[in-house]
Amino acid sequence: MMLRQILLHIFYKLNNERTINAAYHLLRGKRSGQTIQDVGIFKLYPYFGILRKLSRPTFEDGVNSLRAEGWIKTDDNGYFTLTESGGEQAEKLTPTFFDGWHYQGNEHIFYGRLSLIVQSLSNQSAGIRAFVPIQRNEEIQGWCRRFLLESDFRSGTLQQTLFNELKTSMEQGELSTLQKELIVERLTGVGVTGVPWQQLSFEHELSELDCQLLFISALHQWLDIIYQNKERFIYLSRLMETIRIDNVLTGSAYQTAQMYNQGYSLDQISAMRRLKVSTIEDHLVELAMNEPTFDITPFISREQHQAVQQAVSMYATKKLKVLHDALPHLSYFQIRLALAKGEV
Amino acid sequence: MLEQKLQEIFGYNEFRPGQKEIIEQLMKGRDCVALLPTGMGKSMCYQLPGYMFNKPVLIVSPLLSLMQDQVDQLRQRGEKRVVALNSFLSPNEKTYALHFLHEYRFIFTSPEMLTQPQVRQRLQSMELSLIVADEAHCISQWGFDFRPDYLRIGEILGEKRPPILALTATATDSVLEDIKKYLYMKQPYEFIHHVNRDNIKLAKYVFDKKEEKQEWILEHVKNTEGPGIVYMSSRKRCDEFSQLLIENNIRAASYHAGKDAEDRQFIQQQFIQNDVEWIVATNAFGMGVHKDDIRQVIHESMPANVSNYMQEIGRAGRDGKDALAILLYADGDEHYARYVAIEDLPKTMHVDAYAAYRQIQQNPNVMLNGDGISETAFRVLDYWMQQEPQEAVKRRLLNMEENKHTAVREMANIIHTSTCMRAKLVEYFGQTLIKPQEVCCTECGLEIDKIIGPRRKVTKQAQMTWDERLQKLLFGHI
Repeated sequence: MMLRQILLHIFYKLNNERTINAAYHLLRGKRSGQTIQDVGIFKLYPYFGILRKLSRPTFEDGVNSLRAEGWIKTDDNGYFTLTESGGEQAEKLTPTFFDGWHYQGNEHIFYGRLSLIVQSLSNQSAGIRAFVPIQRNEEIQGWCRRFLLESDFRSGTLQQTLFNELKTSMEQGELSTLQKELIVERLTGVGVTGVPWQQLSFEHELSELDCQLLFISALHQWLDIIYQNKERFIYLSRLMETIRIDNVLTGSAYQTAQMYNQGYSLDQISAMRRLKVSTIEDHLVELAMNEPTFDITPFISREQHQAVQQAVSMYATKKLKVLHDALPHLSYFQIRLALAKGEV
Repeated sequence: MLEQKLQEIFGYNEFRPGQKEIIEQLMKGRDCVALLPTGMGKSMCYQLPGYMFNKPVLIVSPLLSLMQDQVDQLRQRGEKRVVALNSFLSPNEKTYALHFLHEYRFIFTSPEMLTQPQVRQRLQSMELSLIVADEAHCISQWGFDFRPDYLRIGEILGEKRPPILALTATATDSVLEDIKKYLYMKQPYEFIHHVNRDNIKLAKYVFDKKEEKQEWILEHVKNTEGPGIVYMSSRKRCDEFSQLLIENNIRAASYHAGKDAEDRQFIQQQFIQNDVEWIVATNAFGMGVHKDDIRQVIHESMPANVSNYMQEIGRAGRDGKDALAILLYADGDEHYARYVAIEDLPKTMHVDAYAAYRQIQQNPNVMLNGDGISETAFRVLDYWMQQEPQEAVKRRLLNMEENKHTAVREMANIIHTSTCMRAKLVEYFGQTLIKPQEVCCTECGLEIDKIIGPRRKVTKQAQMTWDERLQKLLFGHI
């Protein structure tokens, strides 16, 4: 069961310092200051937003099975402790590859475009002009229409070009046969209907959720390959347009960053944007985490920054409360900035 | 003349019963109520007029999936001047659609959209040739699907309005009365199709224990021919039972509103191509599924009302050949049916909660996050709380609950009858059987093996490798 492995890995990294819910928000890709900071502090980039529609009951099932194995214990406040055997298990794990931070669910838009384009070309090959589109989302439909027109699909050669790119790129990485099968089995066309998850689960003897996770993992790997070989996979890299997120600041944090760079103070930004100062602070912490060139010394001196790092190793924790008790002269904001920035 | 248009535009040689009469009346400007069974060409009643008028036809459709299906069908036929104004549109798309609204031939929209001032004003400001209320029984609180927003159609009707066409597959007399009243129809022309479908044979089996039903279906499905649908009452049971069938080498698929959109399309497609033999579904399955050769419809548990039952079994045998509808019953099924029937109704405590939120000037829609009320139920509650005082709403809801209970009782009566089931069903819709049928129903001595053939063996298709599959997708051959 893959969800269990993923959860175990997340809990292992969270180092008993967050509640169970932190893992839930992480997997769903919640865009809150807290979750984003957790990603940076505990290096959880791979898992951010890989299951945007994860339901509470499914999540609870996963947590319960970890508990049943005796790998974690939970308390009434929602905090957990990894047991000794849980720690051993976690160290033995070979985690499945994910690149959640760079895609955050957008891989499904990429796949939606691909599936509609394949369906269109399949119908064109069969001489069928009208069909029910597999993608209902009008943005995806509009995007595909433009793509097909700009690629001169009427000449009838796009099929071959796309086929070559698909085959070469999928063979290039380390995708397993199962993963390649999953990718093509969810495509649909004339005489070849896409396969529902229930049937995939039966055929491959895996749970539906495992199939879906392997599929997402496959898309992330595949997208990374295409991204690294843009000039070789011209059409596929066009399908990746606006899919990969390299500037990962949330919309609101981005605005704050721009104003800050223009020289406004925190209080000014707070007043102008009608947001609480604490929210603006969240944004700056996010900025510190994502922007290597961001300078935190206006808020915390080098010595203070060093003191935070020393406290982290001395107490073996990143719990804010503990660090604040140890360094009472620093504010929570200063400590969070130091944590977000990492090494001095 | 009408026939010629039909041939020209749709390629059909003749009308199906009722279509021509209805279209003629509409062309004269007269309101119409059409009670036509599903699959009998209801949509033709407004599609053909759409090509004869020079102004747009407005179709109000309460089910998004149904709306999408009709839009798809029109587009598939090459019609470009069709738009679905619904909550799926992005703000930009919506602005665009509203701006060019008068240029479309067919405008589909939902009752909820009519409540938006922007949409309402735009519709009021333009000329329409025809207004269609699809699934019109939803306008009646006696109906099983009451949708309060539907009442707002009345608000877009001005003094000088085009004719209205009310379409429904199922309606009793009291529902028909409500439809005419709330749509302000003036002496409408009524076309009531006979509800009996004589090629659908009605079987019924009674069990002592609920568990025996699934065993029975498994054995039955192993030995008789499909394609077929098994209706079950919950998503979880659909998933589990379909899994059991698959493990028994039956090509089955679970279908319900919890499946993702791609899966739903894949499954429909597989069913139509006979790649899947049995669909195990909640009542979410059926709308917009165009398959003529469904041989069996099995109800594992009792439907919440007679209209649902008729609509669901009506999906069998559209090709006119014999088909079988099997209803399974075990003691106590009514209790569960009653529970399901009122699940989507707001309860008295919700009325109080709503009032409390309103008192502290908070938007009551926060109830949706954790006060244990479904979205459908909230919409009903929200509508009535804006119309009536708290106590009246409570009375109204209790009344609606009572109606739902009555509907379950009526369904139970049909199951418990020891006389002809068909006669009872037809009677429920205020009609009488024209003549008794030789092969009819369990109570009339139906033997199902004379109706349904043995299961046909299918050879498994050769598996393709992933790149072969890709090749076949793109080029049509390996």
